[in-house]
Amino acid sequence: MLKTHKALKRRSSHCMIKGTRMLIDTSHRFLKRISDIYRVKKGAGDVLPLTVGIPRMFYYYIYPGLWETFFRELGMKPVVSGMSTAKTVEKASEISETEHCLPNKLFDAHLAELAGRVDMIFVPRVLATIKDHLSCPKFGPLPDAARADIARVTEVLSIDIDETSQPLSSSLMLLGKKLNMPKARTVSAVKTAISAMQEARRKMDRPVRKKGRPYFLLAGHHYTIHDNFIAGPVLNKLQSMDVDVELISFSENTPEKSYILWSTSNAIYHKLNTISADEYDGVIQLSVFNCGCDSMMMDTYRQLVREKNIPYMFLMIDEHSAQAGIDTRVEAFIDSLGWRK
Amino acid sequence: MTYMAIPNIGNYTIALATAVESLGIKAWASTATTPEALKLGINAAPESVCLPLKAHLGHFIEADRAGVEYAFMVNSVGTCRLRYYRHMIGDIMKDLGLKIKIFGLGFDGFKPPIVRYFDPGPVTFVKPLIHTALKIKVIDELEVAAWRTRPVEVNQGDTTRVMNRLLVELSESRTMAATRAIRKKAARCFAEIPIDTEKRPLRVGLVGEISFLRDKCLNKNIEYILGSQGVEVRNFFLLGEELNNISRIVLLNQNRRKYLSKIADSYLQCTVGGHALDSVAHSIRCADEGYDGMVHLCPSGCMPEVSVRPILKRVSKDKDIPILEMSYDEHTCGVGIATRLEAFADVLRERRKKKRSLVHRVDMVIKPNNADIEKKLNKVCP
Repeated sequence: MLKTHKALKRRSSHCMIKGTRMLIDTSHRFLKRISDIYRVKKGAGDVLPLTVGIPRMFYYYIYPGLWETFFRELGMKPVVSGMSTAKTVEKASEISETEHCLPNKLFDAHLAELAGRVDMIFVPRVLATIKDHLSCPKFGPLPDAARADIARVTEVLSIDIDETSQPLSSSLMLLGKKLNMPKARTVSAVKTAISAMQEARRKMDRPVRKKGRPYFLLAGHHYTIHDNFIAGPVLNKLQSMDVDVELISFSENTPEKSYILWSTSNAIYHKLNTISADEYDGVIQLSVFNCGCDSMMMDTYRQLVREKNIPYMFLMIDEHSAQAGIDTRVEAFIDSLGWRK
Repeated sequence: MTYMAIPNIGNYTIALATAVESLGIKAWASTATTPEALKLGINAAPESVCLPLKAHLGHFIEADRAGVEYAFMVNSVGTCRLRYYRHMIGDIMKDLGLKIKIFGLGFDGFKPPIVRYFDPGPVTFVKPLIHTALKIKVIDELEVAAWRTRPVEVNQGDTTRVMNRLLVELSESRTMAATRAIRKKAARCFAEIPIDTEKRPLRVGLVGEISFLRDKCLNKNIEYILGSQGVEVRNFFLLGEELNNISRIVLLNQNRRKYLSKIADSYLQCTVGGHALDSVAHSIRCADEGYDGMVHLCPSGCMPEVSVRPILKRVSKDKDIPILEMSYDEHTCGVGIATRLEAFADVLRERRKKKRSLVHRVDMVIKPNNADIEKKLNKVCP
């Protein structure tokens, strides 16, 4: 494999980099860096697609299905890292910054899984996912930190997503421009990708509710309630106890403005503000160790739910969480609800 | 007399206390969070919030117990947790059944709510504010002078003694004339301290979260520990400078953030929040200016500062400048910090020695090969 690559490089080193499927203008800063890889792949005559790594964390869950569809439509090959497992956590605790929150550590482990395996890794700078709101400040330096540390061996493709200044579709158009795609192709890719995202969100949100069974709300960030390591044990336990659970949905329209500017926190605040005791038998707040947003909002949530007379449990997951510990807590919570009646 | 509790920002609290007088009331404050206040805050706050919140909360609880009716809390417009401090402190105080009224700097009209509430006359309002600006300037100068003299003083403790005396005088000064006199006197007092002119102290920059850069109780008096180790510190939070920057942004539309982003561009292309961009940019600047090392201070789990740590590590490797990461929580002990800083200072000293000897050796190797020098040597002694 390596030999052929070298041979290809030699053969194509003098030829102009002008592909039929992808035009590469080397004047661009990012493309200049990536063009070497591209030259190797293109040399054989037919174009091998560039591979783009997408870590299965943060923005993968915030925009489900969007990135894979978008890159596939542009003729690239998206590679998503595997599900988070105990092994991922083990790796994370080895390589990541010790004081990061758990999802950020997992993100680093996912990055490490992709680094070196793909042509470039996609790490956007998610500054705001809802208009006039803010994301967690940790998302700001995410691509820079990836470039500085773990994904150093691979190119990092990045784009600013700031809904306050421009909608998602224009950000995606810019990303297409960055990759030097023809405009018409990017437009169609954006359209397909956004509809795929909406479809995926609908699938994610669909609550299953059977009559006569207790019904719970699981509140948390996108990337905690859908992650395999963080929410997996809780969901497993709830399922085995014949309890139906609704994962909090973020796909609804913009939540009402309040004093909270973090978009996810405001969405949860809004949801907890509107629910009633008839709808849900209880609320489980899933949080992760060292999460800054949750540490500030925890008490506010608790107060809100207490006023409505809905049982509330705050569950914090850290690196050392195991199925047994979570089983005990969830069981105790659900049993105590039985005595309430 | 009505009192108002204001948050601690180190020695600058003296100046802010004068500012409170513009409202026709007196300030209730101290230049450093007391350990008792911190304990109160830790007991009352949720466990996973950051330490500055606990310090502020404890300070306000203490104030309420002392019978203070009003409190003032800054409200940030940034992305980090500081934005929600006032709201959260208010909620916790309500839960505890405390009656202190907390003001912020809300911008819902021409006058901020705090000014509207007390409604001072224009003369009583403006005069103390001008005095505050002067005091901030004086404190800036005192701080800078103390960093310079402490590592080279002959009798250890002289600088601190002089500094404390001047600060006490400053806090007692009521008129502009008195403050100006102190400013003149300060220059004389610092010049009188006997110093070792031969000594070339190590230079270390302090960057990080502001309440840790300023509050002596929270940072375990890091400036003093480093200074007495023979290290000249440069603390990158001077309130005067910071306020100048803000006014420049507002009045002249000169954005200092842009200047900082330009420096940090190859490492960080975003203004994260808090003082994270400043930390990265100042580290790069210090490395270029030939500083011996940097110390990065932050509370444990600080959102912006922790997220730029991998970048700081890269800066440290690329620019060959050691950066010591310090994170503080409620169990941090002063002795542990002192040990780490002493070890750090030792490492820096050895590093400097090694670098010098390396330069020396390189010179020895190069000189004989230099044809010009050989010619000159031949001329002198044929």
